[in-house]
Amino acid sequence: MAKIKKFFRYENVGILFVLPAFLYMLVFVGYPIIHNLILSFQDVNAGNLVRGTKNFILFDNYLELFQDSVFTASLWNTLRFTVLCLVFQFIVGFALALFFSKRFSFAKPVRGILLVPWMIPITVTALMFKLLFATDIGIINFLLRSLHLIEKNIEWLTTPGTAMFALICANVWIGIPFNMILISTGLTTIPKELYESASIDGAGKVQTFWRITLPLLKPTIESVLILGFIYTFKVYDLVYVMTSGGPVNSTHMLSTYSYKLSFEMFKYSKGSAVANVLLVILLFVGVFYIRATTEGEND
Amino acid sequence: MDEEKRLSRKTNILFSVIAVALLCVLLFPLYWALITSLKTEQEIFQNPPTFYPHILNTKSYAAQVETGDFNMFRSFANSFLISMGATVIAVLLAVPASYGIAKYHFKARKAVLLSFLVTQMLPVSVLLTPMFIMFKNMHVYNTWVAAVLADATIGIPFSVLILKNYFASIPKDLEEAAYLDGCNKFSAFVRILIPIAKPGVMVCAIFSFLYAWGDLAYGMTFILDQEKRPITAGIFNFMGQYGTKWSYLTAFAVVTIIPVAIIFIFMQKYIVSGMTSGAVKG
Repeated sequence: MAKIKKFFRYENVGILFVLPAFLYMLVFVGYPIIHNLILSFQDVNAGNLVRGTKNFILFDNYLELFQDSVFTASLWNTLRFTVLCLVFQFIVGFALALFFSKRFSFAKPVRGILLVPWMIPITVTALMFKLLFATDIGIINFLLRSLHLIEKNIEWLTTPGTAMFALICANVWIGIPFNMILISTGLTTIPKELYESASIDGAGKVQTFWRITLPLLKPTIESVLILGFIYTFKVYDLVYVMTSGGPVNSTHMLSTYSYKLSFEMFKYSKGSAVANVLLVILLFVGVFYIRATTEGEND
Repeated sequence: MDEEKRLSRKTNILFSVIAVALLCVLLFPLYWALITSLKTEQEIFQNPPTFYPHILNTKSYAAQVETGDFNMFRSFANSFLISMGATVIAVLLAVPASYGIAKYHFKARKAVLLSFLVTQMLPVSVLLTPMFIMFKNMHVYNTWVAAVLADATIGIPFSVLILKNYFASIPKDLEEAAYLDGCNKFSAFVRILIPIAKPGVMVCAIFSFLYAWGDLAYGMTFILDQEKRPITAGIFNFMGQYGTKWSYLTAFAVVTIIPVAIIFIFMQKYIVSGMTSGAVKG
C-alpha cells in the first residue's frame, strides 16, 4: 500500500487522471484492433461469429484477396479517389484562403459561413449530391443541357466513370473548408515584415508567392496534405450512401468493400482482412504525420 | 492596425461582392435541398426546374409528424439521445486525461499521447466486426447504448488532443496559489483549472456532439430496428425504399441539419478554434 502511494506521488499522479480515458479506449478501440487482426487469420462467417469454434486458416484470407478483382479494383479506386480529391480540395482551399486573407469587410463572416459544408453529416451531403446529379431532375444535367454541352441526360450515378466523378465532387465540397481554414491559419503565421521588405526590394506578387508564401507555408501544407490523405483514404459514409460501391463494383473503396464482405455477404474474416490492409496503409502515412506533430513536443 | 494595408473603398466593395458570389456557389447544394423540400413532387419534376418553390408545400414535413415507418422526429430524438450520451462520456473522460497529459510528466506519457493520436486515424472498418461481437456479448446490441459507446471513441481522442493544449497554457503559478490556499491536486483541478479551460471544454463537447450526430456506420451496424436508429441511418433506409421521393428525402435532410445550424449560429468561434487546432477529421 505504501509502495503504491509512493508511486503516485509527484509526476505519476498524472496516470490517475489519464487512466479512465485510456482504459475506455483500450477496451473499445485497442481490443477490437487486436481482435480484428485475429479474425482476419480465421474462418469466420455468420454461423460461428458470436459463438462456435473458429478455425485458423492463417494467411488464406489475404492470399484470396489478391486474386479477388474487386479487391484490387477497390484498392486502386481508393488511391485514385484520394489523390484526385486532395488535388482539387487543396487548390480550391488554398485559393480561397489567399482570397480571404485580404482585409475586406466581408472576409471574416463569409469565410466563417464557408465552414458549414464540413459540419454537415456526410449522409446528408451524399443525399444532396445525389439530388444534384440525379438523371431526370438533376440541376447539373439541366445546366449542361442549357449550355448545349449534352443532348441526352447523363446517368451520372449509374455509369462507372461518371459515378466516380460525382463522388469526387461531393468529397471535394466537404474537404474545401478544411483545407481553407488550415491554410488560412498558416498564412497568419507569416510575418508581415517579410512581405513589406519584399515589396521594397521590388518583388512582384507572383515572385512573393513562390519565394515567401509557399516556402514558409511548407509545414502547414505538409500537415494539410497528410491529414487530408488519411481522412480521405478511409472514406466510407459518402460512398456507401451515394453509390454503395456500384455500379458493378466500379466505385468500391476499401472501406465499403470491407463492409460489404462483412455485413452483406457475412464473410467476416475476409472483410477484416480488407480492413487491415486499409489500416496498414493509413498507419504507414500516419507515421509521417506523427513525426511532424510530435517534433516540438519535448517539453 | 494603421500600418496594415487597408484596401481602398472600391476594392473593398469588389472583393465583398466576389465573396458573396463564392458563398452562393459553394452553398448552392444546401439551398437546393431546402427549396426541394418545400416543393410539391410535381414541381420537382418540372422542366425547366424552378429556383424557388412556386407553390409552397410543407406536407413533406407535416406527413412525418404523423406516425409511419419512417418517423423522422423519432429518429431525431434517437440521434439526440445517442449524441448527448457520447458527448457526456467523451467530455467526462477527456477532461481529466488531457490535464494529466498536460501537467504531469509521468512514465509512458508519450506512449499514451501517441496512442490517442493513432486512434484518430483508424478507419471504422477495422472496428465494426469486433465491436459487433463485443456488443452482442455485452447484450447491448440493438440498443442506443451500443451507438453511444462506439461514438464516444471518436470524441475522446479529439478532445484529449485539443484540451491538453488548453491546460498546458495555464501558468503553473495559478495551480501553486491554489495549493497554498489549501487545495489538493484534485480540488485544484476541479475548482481552478477546469473553469479556466472552459472554452476548450466547449470545443470538445461541440465536436464530440457533431461527430456522433454525423455518424452512420455505428448507428447502422449496431442498431437493427428502424425505430431505435439515429436519423442518419433513417435517411439511408428511406433512400433505399423511396429513392425518388425527393420532397420527403430533402425534408429529412433539412431536419438533420437543424442542430448543426444552431450550433454554427451560436457557437461559431468554437468551431473555428476546433478546426484550426489541426486535430480535426477532414
